[in-house]
Amino acid sequence: MNSEWLKKYTFHYSEFMDLNLLVEKKRDRKIKISLCLPTLNEEKTIAKEIIIIKSELITRYPLLDEIVVIDSGSTDNTKKIVRAYDIEFYDADDILPNLEKFKGKGENLWKSLYITKGDIIVYLDADIKNIHHRFVYALVGPLLLYDNVKYCKAFYDRPIAIGKGRMRPTGGGRVTELVIRPLFSLFFPELTQIIQPLSGEYAGCRELLESIPFPIGYGVETSMILDIYKEWGLDAIAQVDLEKRVHRNQDTKALGKMSFAILKTFLNRIEKLGILDIKKDTFNEMIQYYLVKDEYHPDLYKIDDLERPPIIEIPEYRKKFNIK
Amino acid sequence: MENYLEKLPSFVDEIKSIKETIITNIVLIGQIPSPTFKEKRRAQFFMERLAECQIDECTTDGYRNPIGIIRGTSGAKPPIFVVTHLDTFFTQDTDHNYVVKEDSIIGPGITDNSVGLGVLISLPEIFQKLNLRFESDIVLAGVIQSIGKGNLRGIRHLLKTWSTPIRGAVCIEGVELGRINYYSDGMIRSEVECNISTVNGCEPKFKPNAILVLNEVINRILRLRLPQRPRSRVIFGKIKGGFSHGVIAYEAKLGFEIQSDSDKMVKEIYNDIKDIIAGVSHKYEVELKLKTISSLYASKLRYNHPLVKSAGEVMKELDLKPVSEPCESELSIFLFRKIPAVTLGITRGENYHQQDNRMEIEPMFKGIAQIIGVIMAIDSGVCDEQ
Repeated sequence: MNSEWLKKYTFHYSEFMDLNLLVEKKRDRKIKISLCLPTLNEEKTIAKEIIIIKSELITRYPLLDEIVVIDSGSTDNTKKIVRAYDIEFYDADDILPNLEKFKGKGENLWKSLYITKGDIIVYLDADIKNIHHRFVYALVGPLLLYDNVKYCKAFYDRPIAIGKGRMRPTGGGRVTELVIRPLFSLFFPELTQIIQPLSGEYAGCRELLESIPFPIGYGVETSMILDIYKEWGLDAIAQVDLEKRVHRNQDTKALGKMSFAILKTFLNRIEKLGILDIKKDTFNEMIQYYLVKDEYHPDLYKIDDLERPPIIEIPEYRKKFNIK
Repeated sequence: MENYLEKLPSFVDEIKSIKETIITNIVLIGQIPSPTFKEKRRAQFFMERLAECQIDECTTDGYRNPIGIIRGTSGAKPPIFVVTHLDTFFTQDTDHNYVVKEDSIIGPGITDNSVGLGVLISLPEIFQKLNLRFESDIVLAGVIQSIGKGNLRGIRHLLKTWSTPIRGAVCIEGVELGRINYYSDGMIRSEVECNISTVNGCEPKFKPNAILVLNEVINRILRLRLPQRPRSRVIFGKIKGGFSHGVIAYEAKLGFEIQSDSDKMVKEIYNDIKDIIAGVSHKYEVELKLKTISSLYASKLRYNHPLVKSAGEVMKELDLKPVSEPCESELSIFLFRKIPAVTLGITRGENYHQQDNRMEIEPMFKGIAQIIGVIMAIDSGVCDEQ
């Protein structure tokens, strides 16, 4: 396997700390940059993300042109908090209302392409406890400074919060190491150079993001990498070390569900690419068991293979962005 | 003076209009762990932030206190100091990630003293927003090694080595909004440590218990008759000791502070406690070590000093009710050096010194306006000719 890519396209956030340079590059290229935060009950972390990024990358250094929050139906104070800080808040269901409605992170990311105006779109998860504006500028940096780079992915140490005021230094990225990395090793060894393919923080050029389909759920990061790799090659991708990202710990069962969705997306993709022929339809339910008193009870979690087509194929989008 | 007093209420809304900048500064600096003696990273961020604001001078003094200077218009007036401490009570490995809510910020050390620091490093941008220029240079100082065993070393060094006169000073503390401190009690902060000697082999079943020995020390100190005038007290603030529920404690430590508005009384009480400790040590045949961690002389401004009066007027203009108590902090060192100074609080909060320490966002804007009002008062000359 050629591992040149890892050396050439792996950066550290400190390489992009000259924010005046990034702003200048952005002005030279006459482009706009949008930040999209997909949310679902993020009242504990959303305000901090908004405030820090707005203050540092809109007010202090005009690198970003807009921040939009796209919500999947939060029942906590997420909406109230976002509005209190004068940020555009969208209920995902209200975007492209004529289309059938789905719930999921991928759905929000796909719809964000319709409502944002940026030529570069940055996606950040909204549950980052140690948010810092490097999470944005470091992802945008390679896209502004290297012409061939169209998509940039984050990687980091992943200490997890394990209780009141306590942290465990490692332990994140379990789905990456147990699911995605073995699959990449089996089918696309080159892609194993991407340290954290499932990280929820990435930036991409619109021309690229509008041309790929988006699974509506957890599989979106996996499909994105596979589609970009197949269409534009690995040299269109870069990765940036953000050093540390603190997030909520998820239990094994939640990670199981996530893995199920990712496996499904992966299998669908490689089947479409003609790499694997699965002779039998796979099922859409993840089955987990809970012990209640002395009996095991199944817990069924349904995940459909729903996927949005490239948004460039949607008439409303073509009209809005004047695409003939 | 009256001119700017009238402006203060409108300042509140102007300051609020850059709330994202202020909150970001509070969070970014507060999330950097900074226990006493390990303030380097926080000091570095302090400098970077001031440098980003392109203030006139950004440096550290010989003791590594970070300092920013905004040059005044006069060139001849002595500088005005605005200071706050960089260190916190929380250890390096505490989770310092703050939670920002619609109306509050929660996290360790937020009120002591992330909010003070965040506001201090926001001042250049706030001055710009309010279009304020001062006659005096404004010296923004984050002082290191302030609390506990730090014994205010940072501010002591800064003022000792500052070569020119200082016009006046404002010390910033996170809470409580409405406090106005203009006098400091004399103080001795000490620790008494009890160690029961252990010998190889079997230990005697009825050897002295370090916790009970310190309990005896506490009881005897409590029996001291402390005068109401001069106002004096002994505060027991820390205690730890022992090993396991069923094992006689062979070591224990007690931390206490003697406070009085008379330095003589502080010394007398200290000597009494020293005698008590010697007596208990003799009685129980144990080793008791008394160690002084820090001390301060009593110092104060007069109640009718123009700075105190002006600060009161500023607070009145902002509908704040002044509350005055003694304060043993950076203020003591300014007053000891005969530099007029007050300590002011910025906002309200709860759960002080706990992991879920909380500060309210909304009152902070008045708190900042109040600090600017007092800086303007000093700049207008209220501390001159005293």
